[in-house]
Amino acid sequence: MSVRYIIIWVFVQLIFVPGALAIADEYTLQRKQMIEGIADDVRKTAEHINKKSFNDIVMQAMDVVPRHEFVPQNLHSQAYENRPLSIGYGQTISQPYIVALMTDLLQPEPDQHVLEIGTGSGYQAAVLSQLVAKIYSIEIIEELGNSSTRLLDRLGYGNIETRIADGYNGWLQHAPFDSIIVTAAISHIPPPLVQQLKKGGRMVIPVGSRFQTQYLTLVDKDMQGNVTTRQVLPVSFVPFTGGH
Amino acid sequence: MTDNQTATPPLVSIFILSAAALAYEVLLIRLFSIIHWHHFAFMVISLALLGYGVSGSLITVFRRWLLDNYDSVFIANTLLFGITSILCYIAVQQLPFNALEILWDSSQWQRLLLSYLLLTLPFFFVANAIALTMMRFHQKIALVYGIDLIGAGIGAVSIMALLQIFSPDVVLRILGISGIAAGLFAMGLFTSGLSAPGNLSKRQKQITASVLLMCMFAIAMTPQKWLDLRMSEYKGLAQTLLIKDASLRFQHTSPVSQTDVVQSPLIPFRHAPGMSLQSPKGPPEQLAVFRDGDEMTTIDHVTDRASLEYYDYMSSALPYHVHSLPQNTLILGSATGAQILQAHLFNISQIDAVEPDRQLSLLITDQFADYYGWQHLEDKVTIHTTSSRGFASSEKNYDLVIMGPPGASAGGSVGVHALSTSYDYTVEALQSYLKLLAPDGLLSITLWTSTPARGNLKLFATAVSAMKNSGIIHPENNIAWIRSWNTATLLIKNTPLTAKEIHNVRSFNQSRSFDLAWLPGIEQHEANRFQQLQEPVFYLAAESLLKQPPDQFGGRFIHEYKYDIKPATDNTPYFNHYFRWSSLEEFLSLPGQAGISMIGVGYPTLLATLAQSAVAAFILILLPLVFVRTDKKEDANKRHNIIIYFLAIGLAFLFIEIAFIQKFTLILSQPLYAVAVTLCAFLIFSGLGSLYVQHRMKTESNAIIPVILRRSVILIGLITVCYVVLLPLISSMIMSLPETARITSAFILAAPLAFVMGMPFPIGLATLQRTRPHLIPWAWGINGCASVLSAILAVLLAIDIGFNGVMLCAVVLYFTAWLSQTKILSENE
Repeated sequence: MSVRYIIIWVFVQLIFVPGALAIADEYTLQRKQMIEGIADDVRKTAEHINKKSFNDIVMQAMDVVPRHEFVPQNLHSQAYENRPLSIGYGQTISQPYIVALMTDLLQPEPDQHVLEIGTGSGYQAAVLSQLVAKIYSIEIIEELGNSSTRLLDRLGYGNIETRIADGYNGWLQHAPFDSIIVTAAISHIPPPLVQQLKKGGRMVIPVGSRFQTQYLTLVDKDMQGNVTTRQVLPVSFVPFTGGH
Repeated sequence: MTDNQTATPPLVSIFILSAAALAYEVLLIRLFSIIHWHHFAFMVISLALLGYGVSGSLITVFRRWLLDNYDSVFIANTLLFGITSILCYIAVQQLPFNALEILWDSSQWQRLLLSYLLLTLPFFFVANAIALTMMRFHQKIALVYGIDLIGAGIGAVSIMALLQIFSPDVVLRILGISGIAAGLFAMGLFTSGLSAPGNLSKRQKQITASVLLMCMFAIAMTPQKWLDLRMSEYKGLAQTLLIKDASLRFQHTSPVSQTDVVQSPLIPFRHAPGMSLQSPKGPPEQLAVFRDGDEMTTIDHVTDRASLEYYDYMSSALPYHVHSLPQNTLILGSATGAQILQAHLFNISQIDAVEPDRQLSLLITDQFADYYGWQHLEDKVTIHTTSSRGFASSEKNYDLVIMGPPGASAGGSVGVHALSTSYDYTVEALQSYLKLLAPDGLLSITLWTSTPARGNLKLFATAVSAMKNSGIIHPENNIAWIRSWNTATLLIKNTPLTAKEIHNVRSFNQSRSFDLAWLPGIEQHEANRFQQLQEPVFYLAAESLLKQPPDQFGGRFIHEYKYDIKPATDNTPYFNHYFRWSSLEEFLSLPGQAGISMIGVGYPTLLATLAQSAVAAFILILLPLVFVRTDKKEDANKRHNIIIYFLAIGLAFLFIEIAFIQKFTLILSQPLYAVAVTLCAFLIFSGLGSLYVQHRMKTESNAIIPVILRRSVILIGLITVCYVVLLPLISSMIMSLPETARITSAFILAAPLAFVMGMPFPIGLATLQRTRPHLIPWAWGINGCASVLSAILAVLLAIDIGFNGVMLCAVVLYFTAWLSQTKILSENE
């Protein structure tokens, strides 16, 4: 019996694996195109984000993570377009350029611990997992948090720890963090998160609607513990003209 | 059996249908404002109203058959209105349309188009019934039109009353059943022999009556879950209810909004706009309050004073630190009471709070009074249910006048309110608030910030303009302006800030890591320390606006800024509108659909609505001409004049009606009253004007037609110009009167103008009736298309030239119509 199953298995592999490989190649190609698109957007917005290109390691991480795995099946074909996509529960997976920009603003290092408020699809955590030692990610919608946890486990992202909880209080057990990324809508910067940010650490908060990031807030905590915020406009637009 | 002269049109049915159709339109806007967002609701319903245009075109083509079977067709249309009013709403709810994704996903446009088509159907059937009746009873065309208008006027008031009493789904059933009831009334009339000869046999009548009754029963029995609102999953309420253990504690619907109160015990709400990073603690447990499923505000659970201390770390706390001993405070727009708690924290002994939405006040004084701690506040707080402007006409004096967050939502920052008028933030409004201040009093206005800056800059420009109009020669000495991470607070005095007050502002800012935007003696390096912008835009704007020569206020800066930040006035009360055409090319060139985040969604939606309506109207107006019989007498030139006439009066009627809704908003304090009173008054008095035309045509010869038209157009012109000049004065006199007197005054003011405005349309139809009766439905369709275009154009024009300009445009259009009618009449002769 077992020999017969092995033969069937080999037969099935012979039929389907070449197709699967072709699809995988297709996604790899689309990812390359996505990376080129991001690099192009960075050049266009260089004046506002104060750099002409993102850190190479950020672009490499974006090039590795299979974004199509993080979107619903029916949207796989659009996964690598430079646009946000709906993932259900009224949530979206951010457009690749914004994910790359947020990741770059965090200035990730291999030994860092990062806190993410709003796991969502898990894509941002997956990108960061290529660059830092450990990611702690909190989601408040239980079903979404559970599905993204299962997905991250399935894809083998072992350095991401998730939980369903209130992100406002951070994750005291694992604090302080080198960086914090907040993807939930907030009316103020939660004091517990500032407290759980290491001196010299950074926090990034995108502001806008689910399908349109208007700007990003970068929170810096200096080595003396003083906190300042800086706004980063992800598009090239200066409202002043003339002699201002 | 009766002949055409003495036949009775189904006037009761027309009345009911018109009332139901207008009520249905208002109801759909209400429902889709909850399901999606108001500006998309406006777009969808505007396009759906083109059903009137479609009707005119189709009747023009198939008029013979339709008129031959008038009785059956009329009843069928009433029945179809009743059925489709329910079914189309259910069908549209099934479409997975996501308004937010429309720029990214082309399939959303297909769903949007399908929504238009489905929602067009009910209006199409109503329009058929009315237009066919006009043709069938052509001797009484003005009578039918008059009853149509009066019915619509009653419908405008009825829907407001119905939505006060019933939930929207019940109202939807009532309207559907009303439509079919109109069919039953018509059947009764057709059977009685009072109407013209019928085409239904006795057995057909019995079957028809049974079908009508069964459909009414079916509508009444439609399963509730089919009619339940399927709110967009991207709205705040929908997302909040996904949180574990979050639950709806309270729901209330009104003609203005749906109010939902949500509790989330596991993951509590913590709403504190712009709270300082230096705050030792966050807000207490809160309930979330949503209006139309979005625009979240909160109700604090007040346990002790310590739970309110976070209010001291918001930029809006500035006035309490600057004024030495404030005793009495006026809060304009108190919403769910956050500013009241802030004033309470600072021991203010007397608080007047103004909130136009009574339901929001009831949440803190009644439904959640214990939670909010109202018992500790009621002795010193008085809540007034009126508008800020209405209250500002009082003679009282206050140490502090407060506006804006805490508690308010940030909807304006993404442009969803771009098309909403607001009389609370105009130059005239700020002047009236400054008059309320005691000698050392402070006016404090807090707004959310946006990036790039726009709303706050417009507020600053408006405030400086108001101060100059109030006789303050050097406003730069009387202003303090600070900003937090996402709010900015503007402080204004009628007298210069003292050295102590300036010191207090600096201390407050320093201790809370807020930045200065303007203060007498400010230096640029103080303007961008803690919450760093790419440029210190607030300071640069303030400096530019304040340092302009007095006769060139804001000139170059306002002119060159890429957003429209010129002061809002009562004539152009679009405080949240910032779009400038000169920036459009740059917005469009931004990659990744980023331009929309720079513009906001409101104005582009309006432009998209106009573009779609114009294309549809163009097709609907010209298409029937392909099928219409032409003869030598009827050349293209004559048809052009007919188009001009009906297009002009259709545009002009709504121009004036919409301008009056705005003018009456100031008088009546409540936008809801303004809409109800204006629609009701204009439609009823216009209906009476049409009946007057019917009476004159019945008693006198046709020669009277040009005389009535000439007189009515001249009167419209004269009355409108008088109102443009005198309404501000009349408004200021009426605003302080009791509510009943203000509503009565508004009715009286609308009556003469509305009466004469009701004449040109039936006159035009009567003229056509004499020479080209086959074009009556076409003219009806043109008028329908014009009405749709007019509602959109009026807003677009008002943003640039103000509502006075819109009214004057209407006068020009009426005179244009008169000229074209003169040509039509001379051609006939």
